[in-house]
Amino acid sequence: MSTRITNQMVSRSILNDLNEVSSRLSQTQRRMSSGKQITRASDDPYGTSRALTLRGDVAGVQQYQRNIGEAVAWQSVTDAALSKMTDTVHRARELTIQGASDSAGPAARKAAAAEIDQLIESIKQEANASYGGRYVFAGTATGTRPYAVAGVDTYSGNTGAVAREIGPGVSVQVNVLGSDVIGSGQAANDGKLLDVLRDISDHLKSGTVADANLIRSVDLKGLETALDTLNQARATVGATTNRLESADSRLLEVEESTTRLLSEVEDADMAKTLVDFSMQQSVYQSALRAGANIVQQSLLDFLR
Amino acid sequence: MSTFMGIQTSLRGLLAHQQSIDTTSHNVANANTEGYSRQEAVLDASMPLRIAAGEFSAGGAAHIGTGVTVDAFRRIRDTFLDLQYRAQAMQVGDQSTRSRQLDQVELALAEPTENGLAAQLSKFWSGWADVSNSPDDIAARQALIDQAKNLAAAFKTVDSQLSVVASQAAAEYASLTGGGGDVPAIATEIAQLNAAIKQFVQNGDMPNDLMDRRDQLLDRLSHLAQVSVTDLGGGTLQVNFGDAAAPLVNDTTVTWPQALTDPKGKLGALLDIYEPGGTIASYRTELNAAVKSLADSVNVLHNPGGTGTNFFTYTAGAEAGSLAVNVTSATVRTSVTAAVGANDIALAIAGLRGGTPDKLYNSFVTRVGGDVRNAIRGEANSKVLLDSIDDRRQSTSGVSMDEEMTNLVRFQRGYQASARAMSTMDQMLDTLINRTGVVGL
Repeated sequence: MSTRITNQMVSRSILNDLNEVSSRLSQTQRRMSSGKQITRASDDPYGTSRALTLRGDVAGVQQYQRNIGEAVAWQSVTDAALSKMTDTVHRARELTIQGASDSAGPAARKAAAAEIDQLIESIKQEANASYGGRYVFAGTATGTRPYAVAGVDTYSGNTGAVAREIGPGVSVQVNVLGSDVIGSGQAANDGKLLDVLRDISDHLKSGTVADANLIRSVDLKGLETALDTLNQARATVGATTNRLESADSRLLEVEESTTRLLSEVEDADMAKTLVDFSMQQSVYQSALRAGANIVQQSLLDFLR
Repeated sequence: MSTFMGIQTSLRGLLAHQQSIDTTSHNVANANTEGYSRQEAVLDASMPLRIAAGEFSAGGAAHIGTGVTVDAFRRIRDTFLDLQYRAQAMQVGDQSTRSRQLDQVELALAEPTENGLAAQLSKFWSGWADVSNSPDDIAARQALIDQAKNLAAAFKTVDSQLSVVASQAAAEYASLTGGGGDVPAIATEIAQLNAAIKQFVQNGDMPNDLMDRRDQLLDRLSHLAQVSVTDLGGGTLQVNFGDAAAPLVNDTTVTWPQALTDPKGKLGALLDIYEPGGTIASYRTELNAAVKSLADSVNVLHNPGGTGTNFFTYTAGAEAGSLAVNVTSATVRTSVTAAVGANDIALAIAGLRGGTPDKLYNSFVTRVGGDVRNAIRGEANSKVLLDSIDDRRQSTSGVSMDEEMTNLVRFQRGYQASARAMSTMDQMLDTLINRTGVVGL
């Protein structure tokens, strides 16, 4: 290439260089103001795809955390109801033992039976516990009151499982079925809590020696079994709560690491960006100065 | 040999230097004229005078110089560099058009932001998860339906922006090639210049400035498509344009419009963007595939067995533009059972998060991003190459002020010296005429 340099060449090359430096400056400025390394897909197509995936992951994790919060609340409502039922059963057991003792008279037995009837109602009341307007013991028929207080003992829920998604492809059943825990009453003769308590109440009311024997031999055992069932249900609820809590803390970690990854992919390295910016700025200034000097000078300045 | 020959010789010198200075002024005046090639007056010693030789040269003759003539005004230009420039201009036309058009696609996608389609998809899945938590909650269901409608609208917007880009490209192509567009206008002017230049050349002239104008038009034409130029002799050209069957300009004849299938350059890029099976069409196909996958995977879970209502409806082949939500907050299904608290369907759909629809959309964004990046890089590279070729062309043909000033000084001095030679001759003649043979007067 010859060394002949023309004025148009000089001015065009200065203009090109200035344009290039200022476009780099504006890109750096965009990074600084947005704080993002990637502001458009073409900045880094693969990084963009990673950022989109990671952002979806973060949103997913946050959703799972919300789901877990929901599930934990459901569990605590269930647990509170089961705990009150357990207390009630203990009281019923005391009453039964007192009423079944030979020293108790018919009046005392009737009084005990009356209190047990009340306890049955309060158990049904607890089994109607709801969270967010949904009956927690009713299976998936969450809109249906599972037990009619001051009515028949029949369970009106269903046996559906209420599940919450706590991770990709991981669902946890959160509900305990009323029919499993306290049963469907004497009509079903299922040996569950309501059935047993109704039997006890009947036996106390009739008050014969045979009934007292039945209470001692059959009903108290049934009550123990019912208590075991209740305790088992509480243990299940506790275990589920533990599982939810550990999943929650794991999700917190996942969220933190995914957010960090996302930030690595799409966030600008501020220190580097600032250094870049001041370097490009000084390059721009020197390009301007050099350009101004070169454009001014020509042989015309020296010919007289 | 005339006594006055010396005056004549000096006159030639004066005239030649004057014309050189005129040429220099022309160059200076056009220093910033686009497409101008510097000119120079080609000086040549004029035809010598044959005179009788002296007594020792055996009866031969001697040649005595008669001064200088201007042979021609030469246009300094390297036609090989023109060829290189035009080949590269075609690349710049292609890449810069591509990057400008695809830039609009990228802006329409608005990824990665909080408002892009990926974020909308993510919110849609969260909507299902919220419904799975509260399947009987009318508010959660309504939020889901609203989000689904937003998602469908966002897909529709992107799709329609894609079609806007395509129709803009088609309109630009039509305006460039249609009547009054650049292609016929340039072609007509080249044909007219061919006629004019041919006439001058036949008369033995060199119409430098007309040829510059024609070269400049060819440069502009080569941005639009592949241009090949054949010299027909006599100053006239044949110009082939893109893959058109007949030459666009043949001497003074213009053949336009003609069909182009792969013209390259700007027109090629525009065609490639908007034509069926082109870039935008393939983007829309890819977007449609993502939407179809979304709608189908949601529908198959929402409507197992296909006997109920689908969640989404769409028109096959135009999925993104026609995606619509087919259910209301009352009719959205959360479970295959009738139980209000059952959420099996909602759970299953919420579980689609991060699945095929998201992946298809992500790969679509990656593809657009990659294409834009390639176009931007291609544009930058081809511009650098074009600039360097243009630098070489300028180095040959451009006007350098320093050089012109030097020439000006040189020619001025030459003019002054010729004038001095003339006045010397004048003084000699003065001696001869006025002071010789005055004895006795």
